[in-house]
Amino acid sequence: MTMTGDASFNEVFFTDVRVPATNVVGRPGQGWEVGTYTLRYERNMLGRSNATESYLAGCVDILRETGLIDSPVYRDRLLKLEGRMQAMKYHQLRLLTDRLKKRDSGAGGLIVKLNNCQLNYDICALAIDGMAERGVLKRGSKHVRDYGNWQRNYMYSLGLIIGGGTAQIQKNIIGERGLGLPREPKPAAA
Amino acid sequence: MDFGLTQPQELLRDSIARFLAQDVGIERVRRAMESESGRDEAIHGQLGDQGITGLLIDMDLGGSELGMQEAAIAAQEIGRAAAPVNFHSSYVLAPLLLAGADAGDRKSDLLEGIAEGRSLITPILDAPIDDGQIEGTVLYVPDAAWSDAFLLETGGSLYLLDASISGIDITSLETVDDTRRVAEVTFSGLDLGAAESLGGSAENTRRAVQAAQIALGADALGAAQKGLHISVEYAKERKQFERIIGSFQAVKHICAEVLAEVDPVQSLLWHTADAWDGGSDEIDHLAPLLKAHATDVASQAVTMTTQVFGGMGFTHECDMHIFYKRAGYDRQMMGNPTALREQAAAVMYG
Repeated sequence: MTMTGDASFNEVFFTDVRVPATNVVGRPGQGWEVGTYTLRYERNMLGRSNATESYLAGCVDILRETGLIDSPVYRDRLLKLEGRMQAMKYHQLRLLTDRLKKRDSGAGGLIVKLNNCQLNYDICALAIDGMAERGVLKRGSKHVRDYGNWQRNYMYSLGLIIGGGTAQIQKNIIGERGLGLPREPKPAAA
Repeated sequence: MDFGLTQPQELLRDSIARFLAQDVGIERVRRAMESESGRDEAIHGQLGDQGITGLLIDMDLGGSELGMQEAAIAAQEIGRAAAPVNFHSSYVLAPLLLAGADAGDRKSDLLEGIAEGRSLITPILDAPIDDGQIEGTVLYVPDAAWSDAFLLETGGSLYLLDASISGIDITSLETVDDTRRVAEVTFSGLDLGAAESLGGSAENTRRAVQAAQIALGADALGAAQKGLHISVEYAKERKQFERIIGSFQAVKHICAEVLAEVDPVQSLLWHTADAWDGGSDEIDHLAPLLKAHATDVASQAVTMTTQVFGGMGFTHECDMHIFYKRAGYDRQMMGNPTALREQAAAVMYG
């Protein structure tokens, strides 16, 4: 069970399992390569911006409904998120164009997961702040808004900041593979 | 649809970058910064020779009749070089305001002069014109001390005023960013008849202002990218505690975070410039949003990358402060991020 109350991942036990050799993905010894390729796909999926765009539209609905859309403080927070969302939206169009033209996106391809997961989290946080005390309710409760999706997504998107390679791992990858900074040296054996 | 620059646009970017790297290196920028006036007299003619001053001017007037995308490319490279020029004012706002002026020989002469890099025309928006008189003080006017003429704008109407006539008093102001200077300009006892009426419209002014805001955002993006570049290079060389400092996660993560914020701004800039060129309604919120976001990201970027240099980052010798101050000027001029976010919000949410 995760912090959201759902069971979205499992503990799996393998005992004496035998797999036919024909089921090998790629070649023996290529596992890391296959794994990281799959992860790259997962990261880009986690960072897709149409989800972010609809989160932000939902957040605007809450702020309109509560009248907070007229509060300069909320408007400023909202517009900061709008700027980040728009930048990522067009950034992804740029990456897509690079892929179609078989052009290397450089470090640009490595930042999507890091940015969008944090952005989704920050949008959910604003939506919940916009609900004030109603923000404490969870799915199934009387008075809860949108079936408790905001509260769930607030927690779930924190999970996604961690999953698929934590934000800190992403920053190592961006720094090392994207910017060419040296790796952390291995500690000398004691 | 492809998203990004076309091949000719990439060639333009590379040729501007090459010219700036060769002819407007950091030593030249520092000479202008350290001079009393801050003026680099030769740069306007050189930019004219390169076709950079005439990007937004019609071909029959000596320009290249390109669009905002190309002007933004130039602005970004100029920001990256910290070149001592108010590109947004002299080569975006001025020619675009003039493009909407009434047709005539005077308009053609002025635009030709700008395209060649021999006339420096400085616009003053919301000029103190009242009851047939030009009377009052305007603050933070770029390049006022060496402008050939002021292009006064009020309610969309344009008036050209020769800078050398009596009744104009100019006091230079000390600016944090020494690469671009502003002044206080006082007009006294001037009849509006002393200026040449050139027509114009409120819609024309609105478009020109949006273009200048995009150019300032592009300048800040270029400065932030250059600041990141030099700090990453430094982090790859500098050793402390017997390690290259870039191998410390504390340093590496600063660089990664800055890249992650700065890189997507490029795409928002392209989209915004495209929206301006295409005459899309979106531009009314995109132009202020782009400038707000780009300059906010740039300020945060230079704040963090300066720290990569440690104590060196605070010195005059280290180039980092040049880009730090450059981003600051871009941020404050023509609407700061907070003001512009409110402007965008008013368009988007009423």
